[in-house]
Amino acid sequence: MTLPGNIDFDNLKPDEFEHILPDLFATGDGKVSQDPRLKKFLAANPDCAALVSDLETIAETARSLFEPVAEPSDRVWQNIQAKLEEDSALASIDDDYIDPSAPLD
Amino acid sequence: MTQAPPARANPGLFQRNPPIAGEAEAIEAAKRGDGEAFAKLYNLHKRRVYTLCLRMLGNVSAAEDMTQNAFLHLFRKIDSFRGDSAFSTWLHRLTVNLVLMQLRKKGLNLVSLEETLNPADDETSRRDFGSRDPVLAGSVDRVALERAVAALPPGYRMVFVLHDVEGYEHNEIATMLDCSTGNSKSQLHKARLKLRELLRNPSQLPQSPLPSESAESTQ
Repeated sequence: MTLPGNIDFDNLKPDEFEHILPDLFATGDGKVSQDPRLKKFLAANPDCAALVSDLETIAETARSLFEPVAEPSDRVWQNIQAKLEEDSALASIDDDYIDPSAPLD
Repeated sequence: MTQAPPARANPGLFQRNPPIAGEAEAIEAAKRGDGEAFAKLYNLHKRRVYTLCLRMLGNVSAAEDMTQNAFLHLFRKIDSFRGDSAFSTWLHRLTVNLVLMQLRKKGLNLVSLEETLNPADDETSRRDFGSRDPVLAGSVDRVALERAVAALPPGYRMVFVLHDVEGYEHNEIATMLDCSTGNSKSQLHKARLKLRELLRNPSQLPQSPLPSESAESTQ
């Protein structure tokens, strides 16, 4: 699904607009409301303009959700520490390992 | 596929993950097995990793298990971090890969071939297109959006979180979810339409606390 090159933006119909909207959002900086090719169409179709405005608002607000909102319980770090200590203990066993089948010096 | 791939040119993500003071030293110390350095890295990044897991999995217990898994993986593989990208970007990608791997193991079809998980959702979103209902008036309450995102079907939620919240490009999402770029665009669009519908009709939103609210209340 890519934006066809032969779109007549001056005579766009709402259903055609709906069809190409995902690609319009995916191209450029996603600011469909600022696209000069759509200025006339959006002015003539307020419902489509409202839809674009709402979807842009949702996408912009979503960026603010990037900041973390929650913290894991202390149990998570305790478990990690326990596993790391286990790893470390196993590694030291490996280091001390003597192959019983190896010839004695 | 549990190891983070080489750094990619992703200015959006990189700008959102600037280096943190003292982090580079902690990484080098952690590579030498310094336990305090591990603790420092955990404290610097635990909220970010946990929030990501929580959003993608929608469940406190699963998110905590995945956070534990991600950091254990990180500490065991930290030698392979070469600093080509921000450490947080690398850790973030590693976490996303682990979450997706687990979801696949559980048999969740992340993006169906039909491009929708529930035909009724699709119809509702389409019917909504030309309606004259109240619009969002240029602003959305962050908590309401969190609530609406949590109410999305898993496939929609995954693409929306990866693209709109985490800043991944469609081609990256397509690779991660093993679908086409067009499918990713389409899923994202449907997710946003569904969110619009939920936000304009708040009565449709679940009234139970968000997973993050539950987590906070248990501490």
